Amino acid sequence: MIRSTLFVCTLFMAASGFASAQATVRVEPANLQSPRPLPEQTQTAAIRDYLKSWQSLRAALEQNRSDLLDPAFVGTARNKLAETIQQQAALGIRTRYQDSAHDIQIVFYSPEGLSIELIDRVEYDVQVFDHDRVNPIQHISARYVIVLTPAEVRWRVRVFQAALK
Amino acid sequence: MSNGRQLAALLAAATAALVVIGTVWPAPSAAAYAGAKSLLGSSSTAEAAVGNLGDEIRAQAWGKAYAGLANKAQFTQPEFVHDLTGYYPSLLTYTTLDKFEVRPLHASADEAEIELKLHWATVVGSSVSIRDLHVIRNGDRWEPEWPIVKEPIVPPQVLPVNYLRWDVIYSGAGDDWGAQNVEAPHVRIVDMHPVERADGVVILGELLNEDVVPAYVSVAATLLSKNQSPIATEGSFDKISHLLLPKQVTPFLIKFPNVSLSSVGSVRMTPMSALIAASADPVIEIENEQLHPAPGASLTGQLINQSGQIVNVAHVLGTFYNQAGLVVWVADEYIDTALLPQNPVPFEIHIPEDLAKNVSSQRTVIATYSSGGSQ
Amino acid sequence: MRTRPLIFLTTMALAMLQPVAAQESSLTLPKTVEAGSAFSIHIAGSGKAALYIVGLGQVLKRDVEAGGTAFFPAGSLYNAGHYLAVLAGNSSTETVSFDVVPATKPAELSFLAKPSRLPVGLHDGITGAVYVFDAYHNLIYAPTPVSFELTSPSGAVQKHVVATRDGAAWTAMDSTAQQGMDRFLARVDEISNARVIGQVPGDPCGLKMSARQSGQAILLATDPVRDCNGNAVPDGTIVTFTEAYSGGQSTVDVPLKHGIAEARMAGHSGATISVASGVVVGNQIRWEK
Repeated sequence: MIRSTLFVCTLFMAASGFASAQATVRVEPANLQSPRPLPEQTQTAAIRDYLKSWQSLRAALEQNRSDLLDPAFVGTARNKLAETIQQQAALGIRTRYQDSAHDIQIVFYSPEGLSIELIDRVEYDVQVFDHDRVNPIQHISARYVIVLTPAEVRWRVRVFQAALK
Repeated sequence: MSNGRQLAALLAAATAALVVIGTVWPAPSAAAYAGAKSLLGSSSTAEAAVGNLGDEIRAQAWGKAYAGLANKAQFTQPEFVHDLTGYYPSLLTYTTLDKFEVRPLHASADEAEIELKLHWATVVGSSVSIRDLHVIRNGDRWEPEWPIVKEPIVPPQVLPVNYLRWDVIYSGAGDDWGAQNVEAPHVRIVDMHPVERADGVVILGELLNEDVVPAYVSVAATLLSKNQSPIATEGSFDKISHLLLPKQVTPFLIKFPNVSLSSVGSVRMTPMSALIAASADPVIEIENEQLHPAPGASLTGQLINQSGQIVNVAHVLGTFYNQAGLVVWVADEYIDTALLPQNPVPFEIHIPEDLAKNVSSQRTVIATYSSGGSQ
Repeated sequence: MRTRPLIFLTTMALAMLQPVAAQESSLTLPKTVEAGSAFSIHIAGSGKAALYIVGLGQVLKRDVEAGGTAFFPAGSLYNAGHYLAVLAGNSSTETVSFDVVPATKPAELSFLAKPSRLPVGLHDGITGAVYVFDAYHNLIYAPTPVSFELTSPSGAVQKHVVATRDGAAWTAMDSTAQQGMDRFLARVDEISNARVIGQVPGDPCGLKMSARQSGQAILLATDPVRDCNGNAVPDGTIVTFTEAYSGGQSTVDVPLKHGIAEARMAGHSGATISVASGVVVGNQIRWEK
């Protein structure tokens, strides 16, 4: 199991070509509550696309450009992040998010195959820029609940929400 | 700089010289296409006369072709053109004559029988039609008689049509996660196996629409090597009936050129289905189906359109089985004339000679296309 | 360009100082706030400062006076998530994190039901999955009971109650023997979401035809075609008649109309006529003139 987890980690780091190259990724064995088996290929694709969504999120919030969210986010998650970007832009604020570690576990694959839910214990840094003022970097450790849904060629994040640990 | 000018002047002079040569002594084919004269020149022999006619048909010089016929008093020029290109929109309507062959069958001093084999270039490939022409001598010229096939006459009648039709309304565009949509039809591959042929591997099989709604179907196959790595992926293209009504079965054939069966470990099949608006009519009866053994192994029969609607293009797909009921081959033919109601139209599907001895039964399905929508 | 190293060093220095600042924070606020509810942050000390509420779901900024309280009325902060409250004064920056949790009252269900059409009599053939959200589209991850109800055309009801785990719940139901439209309902409290599932007949069962002379030809007709549960197979289903005779064969695919399939064939003497639909084979008739 450890070997396979390590393999998956290596795979993700290699496949996603991280902009956040330092981020370490650990994938726990899936703990599914649904009857539908999760093919390894699907699991790999879903996690790869989720990790890539952090790159989109980072660029979008740093540049205050909601269009950068489109490849990776959809529905509620996209709307909420776009709203955040709009608020940032209105206040003259930018934020820089940098993920450094992910500990991912898939917890639900809906029976009809239209959604995958995963829990990510993620560590990331956030820094707030208000016009010329640079606020200090804050390190955050949080538990995120993610719901991914399939699009034409990839999985997109539909729910992206930090939850209480 | 001066070298460049000299080269330009040389090229201009050469071009002018070639234009003059081409105008004064044109190539026969160019002259024929330009309408100057026939490719074969005068109709001094029976073969030359039929060759001229072939050239004129190829150039779509209908007036000239008609004018050179010995029996033109028996039909009008439009009837002659329609006999070649179809009285109703069909595969031949939007086609051109690619090439033709002239073969003497019999000749005397004043008359001859000549076979004219016409190779039409259609949207689905080559279509061949053969006409045997009687050619007669008229002074120093030979003139062909066109074996006209006049427009089939459908007896006046009223056909009560109580046809079924399915229409599909999809959910609107946009993000529809969780919203209900119409289910794609359920289809199932009921038979599939690979066969080694001289030019590669062929996947043969049958696909069933087990749903209660019409399906637009296609099948793709991926050959996997013994270590499960993909070798190639191909689709059935037109060797399948893409529209399947409920409980209808179509054969399919997928070719993998230049692949050896010994290198194949397994085959991954991917049937695809989508809802499609469709009509249950027209009903086509396949009558008098006969299997002919080698040499010249074939399946022949006649199509009879039992409906009142004209079918513009019919695609006949034959599935051939061995004694154990396994599919041994799938072959097809497009009918290049329109199917009029109750008017039998023959078909002939060729079977590879080496496989013919294994064929003990067959099943034929028809895909039809009518102008104004697919069926 | 020259200012960059300076900014970097300043940032690093502030970051190193930050845990100390946090320990002696002048910000007092609840550790969790329910989405959409009012809350306040007390700021100790004196002087003017800027207060930022920063998260992936929302960003707010207030100019505040230290020694007072910043009030955030209901509806100010409604997207659930992890937030930072950053107090930036003239000479120092303090940061405290807190969580906005979803409202406890469900307001919206995402209901994924499949398939929209299936044959009758299929065990666990119908599945439904539900994600529960509050009024602000936050996923409610606290366990919440979801009631799934499938009402068949006969009026029979299958009901399962499942508690959500991490905001999701699912169930599987059987299609019943009778064709028609099912109503599939997911409910949490008074919030519900319904889907319509079509139960369609299965394969024909006991396919049977008869033949009679009609002029020079024969007229073939099936009995009303039904599945093994007695449901009428829908019109449009293809039935194939095959007439095999010495030296040849004739075939015709006809759709069911008004529950039966009819075809006219030549009727050669001694012919064997068979009928089939899909993979189901019916009876055979030997025809003698």
